[in-house]
Amino acid sequence: MLDRLLILSVFVVASCGLAYELIAGALASYLLGDSILQFSSIIGAYLFAMGIGSHLSQYVKDEDSLARFIDIELLVGLIGGLAALALFLVFSWLAAPFRTVLYALVLIIGTLVGMEIPLVMRVLNQRQAEFRELVSRVLTFDYLGALAVSLLFPLVLAPKLGLARAGLLFGICNVGVAIWTAYAFRRELPGLRAQLTRAFVVLALLVAGFAVADRLVQWSEKGLFGDEIVHAETTPYQRLVITRWHDDLRLHINGNLQFSSRDEFRYHEALVHPLMATLPWAKRVLVLGGGDGLAARELLKYKQIESVTLVDLDPAMTTLFATAPALTALNQGALKNPRVHVVNDDAGRWLENHDQVYDAVIVDFPDPSNFALGKLYSVPFYRLLKRHVAEHGAIVVQSTSPYFAPRSFWCIDATLKDAGFHTWPYHTYVPSFGEWGFIIAGAQPGYAPPERIPVPTRYLNPAAIRLMFDFPPDMQPPPGIQPNRLNTQSLVHYFEQDWRNVQR
Amino acid sequence: MKRRVFLQAGLAAGLAAGLPGCRFDGRSLFRPDIRIARPGMDTGHALRDRRALPPPGQPVSGEIRTEVAILGSGIAGLTAGWRLAREGFGDFVLVTGPEPFGNAAASRFGDVPCPTGAHYLPLPTAASIHVRTLLSEMKLADDAFAAAPDYDESALVHAPESRLWINGRWQEGVQPHHGIPPSEIAEQQRFYAYTESLKHHLGRDGRRLFEIPLALSSRDAEWRALDAENFAHWLARNGYTAPSLLWYLDYCCRDDFGTGLAHTSAWAGLHYFASRTGRARNGDDAAVLTWADGLNTPARHLLAAVTPQRTLAGSVVRVRERRDHVEALVWQNGRLIRIRARCAVIAMPLFVAGRVVEGLAGDGFDPSIHTPEHAPWLVANFAMDHFPSEKTGETLAWDNVVYQGKGLGYVVATHQLIRAARPERTVFTAYHALADGEPRDVRRWLAGASADELYDLAASDLAEVYGWKLARNAGAVEITLRGHAMPSPRPGFLGNAGTQALAAADGRLLFAHSDLSGYSVFEEAAWWGWRAAGRLLGT
Ligand SMILES: Cc1cc2nc3c(=O)[nH]c(=O)nc-3n(C[C@H](O)[C@H](O)[C@H](O)COP(=O)(O)OP(=O)(O)OC[C@H]3O[C@@H](n4cnc5c(N)ncnc54)[C@H](O)[C@@H]3O)c2cc1C
Repeated sequence: MLDRLLILSVFVVASCGLAYELIAGALASYLLGDSILQFSSIIGAYLFAMGIGSHLSQYVKDEDSLARFIDIELLVGLIGGLAALALFLVFSWLAAPFRTVLYALVLIIGTLVGMEIPLVMRVLNQRQAEFRELVSRVLTFDYLGALAVSLLFPLVLAPKLGLARAGLLFGICNVGVAIWTAYAFRRELPGLRAQLTRAFVVLALLVAGFAVADRLVQWSEKGLFGDEIVHAETTPYQRLVITRWHDDLRLHINGNLQFSSRDEFRYHEALVHPLMATLPWAKRVLVLGGGDGLAARELLKYKQIESVTLVDLDPAMTTLFATAPALTALNQGALKNPRVHVVNDDAGRWLENHDQVYDAVIVDFPDPSNFALGKLYSVPFYRLLKRHVAEHGAIVVQSTSPYFAPRSFWCIDATLKDAGFHTWPYHTYVPSFGEWGFIIAGAQPGYAPPERIPVPTRYLNPAAIRLMFDFPPDMQPPPGIQPNRLNTQSLVHYFEQDWRNVQR
Repeated sequence: MKRRVFLQAGLAAGLAAGLPGCRFDGRSLFRPDIRIARPGMDTGHALRDRRALPPPGQPVSGEIRTEVAILGSGIAGLTAGWRLAREGFGDFVLVTGPEPFGNAAASRFGDVPCPTGAHYLPLPTAASIHVRTLLSEMKLADDAFAAAPDYDESALVHAPESRLWINGRWQEGVQPHHGIPPSEIAEQQRFYAYTESLKHHLGRDGRRLFEIPLALSSRDAEWRALDAENFAHWLARNGYTAPSLLWYLDYCCRDDFGTGLAHTSAWAGLHYFASRTGRARNGDDAAVLTWADGLNTPARHLLAAVTPQRTLAGSVVRVRERRDHVEALVWQNGRLIRIRARCAVIAMPLFVAGRVVEGLAGDGFDPSIHTPEHAPWLVANFAMDHFPSEKTGETLAWDNVVYQGKGLGYVVATHQLIRAARPERTVFTAYHALADGEPRDVRRWLAGASADELYDLAASDLAEVYGWKLARNAGAVEITLRGHAMPSPRPGFLGNAGTQALAAADGRLLFAHSDLSGYSVFEEAAWWGWRAAGRLLGT
């Protein structure tokens, strides 16, 4: 009977052993990407550590083997169970040593797991089981456990519980084996009471961890953003995180703030109305970027606009802003509006492959912080864009901050001019961004700020718009700014220097 | 524990699922599919051995009569056809030879085109009217004949242009400076200052010392004397010893000439640095024009002017000059076609022309003495299913070179795309000038090497940079072997009486190929085609 119990625990122990390995691999691929590398190096390290464990098991004295087996189960349960959760926390708080911690944990858990089976075999061997039969039974259950978990983990546990809680569940199983074995062999164990106390402490820890794991994982991401996370998603293009603090919803892309619901209307009204209020005849409008639908919301206020084509790279972004209730409340369902056509494509490719002409174009790209994004602010890009603008139409470009990044801002202005546009730069104050800049550009000269705004606004009126076109002395163009040519990409360099000067 | 075996089997199966196209013969488990192309080799060897071409007793199954036959479809032949068509001369036929576009050919993986030969064009000099005419026609330059034209920026190489993997990290630009002592940097600067000063130096005949096209360079004997010396020797004699400078100059020679310093004429070495005076209003002086498929884009533009009607696929097996016409026999898929033309432009490499054109010796060209030595090259296109991850903070450049690497680095085919997000797939084109050892021995090695050996060589720079990540990201690789890729300007090349005679030939046979310059770049090849067409047009 007792032997059978030990054999059964082999089944559980084997499941748990494989589970930790799978969790570590899955977690590493999830956080670091590159799953083949993560899985193979983790499996390799884990097997190697198991070898160390098997080797070390010979130093356990015969008479201690049962007690040590129970100790090891407790340790495996504790470390293995908490590993995934710990790794999440390490990743978000201290990005750098993540790999070190990961492999250290894999090695420790592997070593402990490697000692389990040899110890069980020795316990059984001492109890005079027939060796031939013993090996065959232990290994049979060992492999069966592996099979069970290899199916259970990807199909049920990981999707239902998440990695952190799945880890904790297996930890609890290990502790369960420890308690159960201790109890079953209570007559043969000298320090039974101490062992059981330890076991229950570990168990309590794991159960508590299980209860708060989800919240901790969320916290760990909150460590990056400060506020409560209401949505987080990694797409092939970017990491989207939406946070909430009281009534303030914020969108972060790759950790950079895109808008705050408290003052985004300032930004989007300033982006759209100074141009659109002067184009009462505009019927077809193109939006590049702006997958949050907030610029589209402002555009839809103009009844004469027949269609808004919105080109945004990331389907996850536009889907999110078309469906999540808190977000559709913010953009007033703009992305579901029948006048809005959402296209998920790279703006550069889309402009190359289409030849429709628009009366106005709203360009709302991320800041030119790298060479790829810098190409969307270049002379050839604006030349390409110009072919899509009606003779008397115009475009408006979000152009970084003329206060914090003056060289970048005026570089964008110089680039538009080099591409043959007339430009009218302006700026406004958006509390969560600071002083922010935009540039209206048209093929024809003669833009004048609108005398009236034909649609309701919260922030802008004609007087406020007129003021935006005035640049006080501390925001004048610096001398010698070069346009952003693809051969040199001066903008990316300016942008880097500008923000390096701002950050302390 | 047998669990190990179980897990290993699982690991292998997982890898197999993740790496489509990988083979399971042990060593090559982590290798992409390898395809090897040897353009022109079969035809070339058949002509050399006179074994199969032309097949004895094969009847001629058709005849084409034309004013001009252009024999070869490299840049030289295409430029000749383009200029004729452009100036309203339509009665000609262009025979492609075994490899359409020659060294300006291209390949493609999915929707990513890539070069199998030449990939960039430097800004043309003032004297390169032929190139400027082409760029103007291609609408790549506003006011193409200005001192510093405005070039189409989608074709001007985009930043970051190049980087060098040196001492385990990347530096910007290919001229070594990271971790290089100041004394070496000073020596580098001395060299560049010297070659810069030569750029506008005129010889006693009033011509620039080093011009592109090379044929327009000064004939000043004092400077031409440098051709007797090798570049390594000249450098040593002038006190240039810094290893970083010598590596860079050697790299440049291998890149443009296919030979190292010691086998390059000192005149040619200086020409490389002192000839380029092209400028752009909207780019650095060192900017180049490039396209995803390299110089195949301008080559296709040239071919479009030739038109399919005037293009004949096939290889010339014999050219005979008759009293009142030229006869060329073309081998096309099992049949022989005769072309009867008033004149012919021989636009194939001279080692082929020497076997095909009868009586070249009469023109002053003895194939056994005057055929320039050709350097072997290997071009490998790695189809990347994903971009391999770069070290943090590093950005892939257009041209990526490894300091003291075996190859000449690799170029990224999708670099010029204007995109917010980089595409999912790309192609890395790795270049190798096989300059170690005698060309003949290298060619023998290439002929016998296994796919794995060729892969190891092709991947050497990439493997140094990305390690085993390379194999995980590369789904397939196409290795193009060019055994006789380009003529090398070895010491004495300027004095080659045979090529001079062919360049001067002005009868029924005209010659047009980069071999006539003795070194191989687009502008030189195009120059000879431009000039041959000019002679035919009487200009
Ligand atoms: C790997 C590599 C990289 C290069 N990179 C650059 C670069 O970046 N920039 C640059 O400016 N230059 C570069 N070059 C040099 C440049 O490609 C050449 O100068 C140019 O393309 C040569 O053109 P060509 O017409 O002289 O000859 P080839 O390209 O040699 O063309 C010869 C033609 O002759 C044809 N032919 C052969 N045999 C026969 C036959 N029996 N009958 C009829 N036709 C025949 C062939 O089919 C081919 O079309 C590179 C060269 C190589 C090999």
